Amino acid sequence: MYLWLLQNRMECSLRYLLAFITAVLSSAAAFAAEPTPGALGFQEPATRIMERVDGFHFFVLIIITLISIFVLALLLWIIVRYNKRRNPVPRKFSHNTLVEVVWTVVPVIILVIIAAPSFSNLFYQENEPDLEAIAESGDLDDPNVFVEAAEQGWITIKAQGNQWNWTYFYKDVLDDGGFPLEFVSNPLHVGTSIDAPVTPDRPRLLAVDYPMVIPVNRYIRYETAASDVIHSWTVPAFGVKTDAVPGRLNSGWFLVTKEGTFYGQCSELCGKNHAYMPIEVRVVSQEAYDRWVEIMLSGDFDAATEFVQTITPADESVRLAMAE
Amino acid sequence: MPMDQVAVDHGHDAHDHKPGFFTRWFFSTNHKDIGTLYLVFALVAGIIGYALSGLIRWELAEPGIGPLTGMMEAMYGTTGDAAIEQAKSFYNVVITYHGLIMIFFMVMPALIGGFGNWFVPLMIGAPDMAFPRMNNISFWLTVGGFFLLILSMLVPGGNGVNGFGGGWVLYPPLSAMKGHSGPSMDLLILSLHTIGIASILGAINFIVTILNMRAPGMTMHKMPLFAWSMLVTAILLLLALPVLAGALTMLLTDRNFGSQFFDPSGGGDPIMFQHLFWFFGHPEVYIMILPAFGIISHIVSTFSRKPIFGYLGMAYAMVSIGAIGFIVWAHHMYTVGMPSDMKAYFVAATMVIAVPTGIKIFSWIATMWGGSIDFEVPMVWAIGFIFLFTVGGVTGVVLANAGIDHVLHDSYYVVAHFHYVLSLGAVFGLFAGWYYWFEKMFGVKYNKSLGYWHFWTMFIGSNVLFFPQHFLGLNGMPRRYIDYADGFAMWHYWSSIGYAITLVGTLIFFVGLVEAALRRRKAEANPWGEGATTLEWTLPSPPPFHQFNELPVVKTEGGH
Amino acid sequence: MAEDVKHDYHLVNPSPWPLIGSVAVLILAIGGVVFMKGLFGLEKGTTWVMLVGLAMVIWVMIGWWREVIKEGRTGDHTPVVEIGLKYGMVLFIASEVMFFGAWFWSFFEFAIFHGARVGETFDYTNPIFAEGLSRFAEWPPVGVATFDPFHLPLMNTLILLLSGTTVTAAHHALQHDKMDNAKLMLILTIVLGIVFTALQAYEYSLAQFTFDGTLYGSAFFMATGFHGAHVVIGTIFLLVCLLRMYAGNMTAKKHLGFEFAAWYWHFVDVVWLFLFAFVYVIPHLVLGH
Ligand code: HEA
Ligand code: HEA
Ligand code: CUA
Ligand SMILES: [Cu+2]
Repeated sequence: MYLWLLQNRMECSLRYLLAFITAVLSSAAAFAAEPTPGALGFQEPATRIMERVDGFHFFVLIIITLISIFVLALLLWIIVRYNKRRNPVPRKFSHNTLVEVVWTVVPVIILVIIAAPSFSNLFYQENEPDLEAIAESGDLDDPNVFVEAAEQGWITIKAQGNQWNWTYFYKDVLDDGGFPLEFVSNPLHVGTSIDAPVTPDRPRLLAVDYPMVIPVNRYIRYETAASDVIHSWTVPAFGVKTDAVPGRLNSGWFLVTKEGTFYGQCSELCGKNHAYMPIEVRVVSQEAYDRWVEIMLSGDFDAATEFVQTITPADESVRLAMAE
Repeated sequence: MPMDQVAVDHGHDAHDHKPGFFTRWFFSTNHKDIGTLYLVFALVAGIIGYALSGLIRWELAEPGIGPLTGMMEAMYGTTGDAAIEQAKSFYNVVITYHGLIMIFFMVMPALIGGFGNWFVPLMIGAPDMAFPRMNNISFWLTVGGFFLLILSMLVPGGNGVNGFGGGWVLYPPLSAMKGHSGPSMDLLILSLHTIGIASILGAINFIVTILNMRAPGMTMHKMPLFAWSMLVTAILLLLALPVLAGALTMLLTDRNFGSQFFDPSGGGDPIMFQHLFWFFGHPEVYIMILPAFGIISHIVSTFSRKPIFGYLGMAYAMVSIGAIGFIVWAHHMYTVGMPSDMKAYFVAATMVIAVPTGIKIFSWIATMWGGSIDFEVPMVWAIGFIFLFTVGGVTGVVLANAGIDHVLHDSYYVVAHFHYVLSLGAVFGLFAGWYYWFEKMFGVKYNKSLGYWHFWTMFIGSNVLFFPQHFLGLNGMPRRYIDYADGFAMWHYWSSIGYAITLVGTLIFFVGLVEAALRRRKAEANPWGEGATTLEWTLPSPPPFHQFNELPVVKTEGGH
Repeated sequence: MAEDVKHDYHLVNPSPWPLIGSVAVLILAIGGVVFMKGLFGLEKGTTWVMLVGLAMVIWVMIGWWREVIKEGRTGDHTPVVEIGLKYGMVLFIASEVMFFGAWFWSFFEFAIFHGARVGETFDYTNPIFAEGLSRFAEWPPVGVATFDPFHLPLMNTLILLLSGTTVTAAHHALQHDKMDNAKLMLILTIVLGIVFTALQAYEYSLAQFTFDGTLYGSAFFMATGFHGAHVVIGTIFLLVCLLRMYAGNMTAKKHLGFEFAAWYWHFVDVVWLFLFAFVYVIPHLVLGH
């Protein structure tokens, strides 16, 4: 079977390689809100949460790389120095209290060094910020809080996982009957012949018919629930992943600092179409958001989606990478 | 270390009465024969698990739903969209059974049932296991469990294809009637019950053997490290498996008798299942790696011709890994919606395990340090193990941090992590042990060059296979996806190339087996020389049907 | 095995039981699925496959343990082997404890964290005990009529405790070679065990809730039902010991089987105390059901 694979994919791999090089070259400018060919790391962070995760990952990556290289170096040295030929007579020691203490204590210290930022990150993600306190403090220099956004309060959105799509409830956007704005976000691609054509705006397996739309620089409280089995609502660029469990209501928060389109995919095995229930979030200006809400409430989901579609500044390099 | 202070008196059992073929292999009460049975069984199961992983890599070699659709036509006669729909379910079935078979029917039977049975009694100077007949039912129940598992793959799952497709972790509601209404899941539950019983009985057997049957003079603190590793493993099995059995029983009654343990519509809690599962599941991963730790210790010491460095530290490191292993389970559940303090606790507890594990890694290195190393085939595998396990271990430490696990959970980063510790850890340990004890067990020599070729192809292949999966995971590739966004294509492609390389390696492995079987080069009692100091090397290869009719005595003077 | 063996361990002869036993379990399991779901063209609800499997399992148990007893009587159970058997039994009971751990764990989870499933969070800043207890107070959910712990359950507690003492008395008598006394005490224990089971069955018949349909019922019947099953097994175990006493193959010096039955019985007893305390008494006291 691999013969088939090799023949067919030789030319393909070249294409990947090209895309890879393009991606690496343009990575400084690229706005990776979605998977990039050949990427080696995270998608570009779009929230403070993810920026911190990114920074933390870089920090830990260095530590674990050094540890791995250290172990590898010791092994190589042993191979070179203590092989049968260079060291015909083995030494006989089997104890050395000093090194034993060192290799117990040093890892402990490393772990403590890892744990400190890790806990601080964890609590930053987990503890819903107190918007009133932030608004009062007025500390514009603290990168972890957003004073202006805090003044505007929360937007609460509930994402409910279903086999196999997401239903969004905008809890603060009420219609005439007093019910929250509610719509189902269906995948455009399910791998069968009904799939919509793929375009740069509609990347395969990531795009949905009616995306979730939120304003930039606003505190968003999201809730997850499920109607059948467990799903998981996630957007990598936001650093957010929360299981949607039937019978439970989970919640979290984030604040997106960049306009754009962000993709995520269901991250808990939920059956046949687990790979086909993407999450698409469009982050737009407050004005655009308000307008979108208006159109949505009028019931014309297509027009509303069309509206946010046209005003989203799609990044050229990503389009290029996708289009090739 | 006890090994070099051993005085043995054996031999003069010229008449080695073996029972007839059927009695010997089907009614066996001989630990060595049962060990061999386990190894053969693991080999067969391993081939099936490996073939399933081939299907995974074949399907994932390029984006879109490919090869599996064709298989649907062969299996169900469907074509077009119908075949695609079925292929999606079938993919989930494939990964589920791949995981289950590799864990429960390949690694565990090989390391615990195979090497444990063969070498625990030999190393501690016992004539057999404590309960030889119970030993055999452990084996046959494992076979029975495997039969049920295969059967479960062949009957309707309730998801449009045969087999259960909810992942090896069996989370309800997907594994409840709502997700999979067919008999497949029930058979799977009973399969796991069956091998659960098998493993518990096996665990009792090992613990009693080790506590009660050590040769005169062999105190616990002189016992070979492999026996230590099996002792800790057995205790983990004994305490962890019943909890899984309980969870599975509740799942079974939820499915068939209307109880509502995990059914949210009746107030039950799917997350409860996850707690019970991982209370078992996390110790389970150490159950798979500790025997490999034990094997590596012996190999490293043998081929460095040096006693193991820090013997007591090594033994108690395993004990503490086992103990801490019971209190870290929820690091698999950071995203289910736990209070943040609870997460913080599990982060801290999980990271602590890096310390005893580090002690092991560095003690192996210190054992080699100053040694006169012979790079025989098993030693090469052992060195590969040490490095690759470290790589897998440190990514585990990354995952332990809940904050970052919120991004990496259920992504290919996790897949990369656990294949480094399992496929490149436990399985490398397994092959190391295989080449270390091959002559002892089968009485013939293997072809060394084939052994090296096997190592290098597997080493390169597995790294090409699993290293890029870290990149995929970081970039957001979720697990258990039959199809992926085009941006992920490149690394998936490389990953599949890696699989093709391991295919060559596995072929070489089998060529090596056949070659050894055909050539029948007579084995030596101790092919490894002065470095091999444990008791099994004092016996001929293969050892007599019943060894140690007169118990070996471990001298007590000398000491370290 | 009689080649010049110079150790006291027991090298068991090859035996067909493990293989047959495994086939029996296989048939039982498949039969179970046939019963629950229907398989291989057999209707759901078909019991005969399961019954065949069960019969085989029982057959294997009888055959196997007869062999063990025979070996014990012909001197294979040397002192060192006896120690091994004792360790084995202790470990088996330890694994059973973990099994019950699963029921208790889920019972507590449902009792204490049920709020988490309606969107509440557990107030973990509260001392866990106070918060946990107040949660327990809402369990079982309103509308579930639980048993009054101080009627039948209390009686059952006393019965089991009493049976614990009688079995110990039997053990002492046995050790002092007072066979008649031992038999009497053992009979008493067995009778108490049967009475316990009967009362438990009677209590079940009065239950206002069911295994299917309510969470409390599921948790209650699973925990107490598994305990009940253990009582039955323990009773049978003791009964076998009684028969063996009558057959004269238990002596003051050698009665491992009896000792194991007694340990098992005590284990069952202790589990009941936990059940009584947490499943019956505490919800009752806190809630005043
Ligand atoms: C053999 C099996 C095995 C082993 C040994 C391990 C070892 C470890 N694992 Fe792994 N793990 C799995 C098998 C294993 N794991 C599996 C199968 C899963 C996925 C299950 C599923 O969802 O399907 C998983 C998933 C998993 C997760 C959940 C990820 C998720 O789903 O989101 C986490 C999170 O904490 C984790 C952590 C760890 C840690 C901290 C260790 C530690 O024990 C590692 C310790 C080792 C080292 C650290 C290296 C050596 C040490 C040194 C050289 C000293 C210096 C080092 C430092 C100071 C850091 N593992
Ligand atoms: C021990 C455990 C083990 C081992 C060895 C392997 C080996 C391999 N695994 Fe996997 N894998 C799992 C445990 C294991 N795996 C688990 C638990 C999951 C998760 C399932 C789930 O999501 O529910 C998983 C999931 C998983 C996935 C993710 C699927 C998905 O999420 O969509 C992938 C994808 O590439 C994969 C690939 C492979 C490959 C290519 C190999 C191998 O081909 C690598 C090479 C290994 C060998 C060549 C070993 C062969 C061994 C023998 C032939 C036996 C020898 C025996 C004796 C000598 C006695 N595995
Ligand atoms: Cu929904 Cu996976
Ligand atoms: Cu774990």
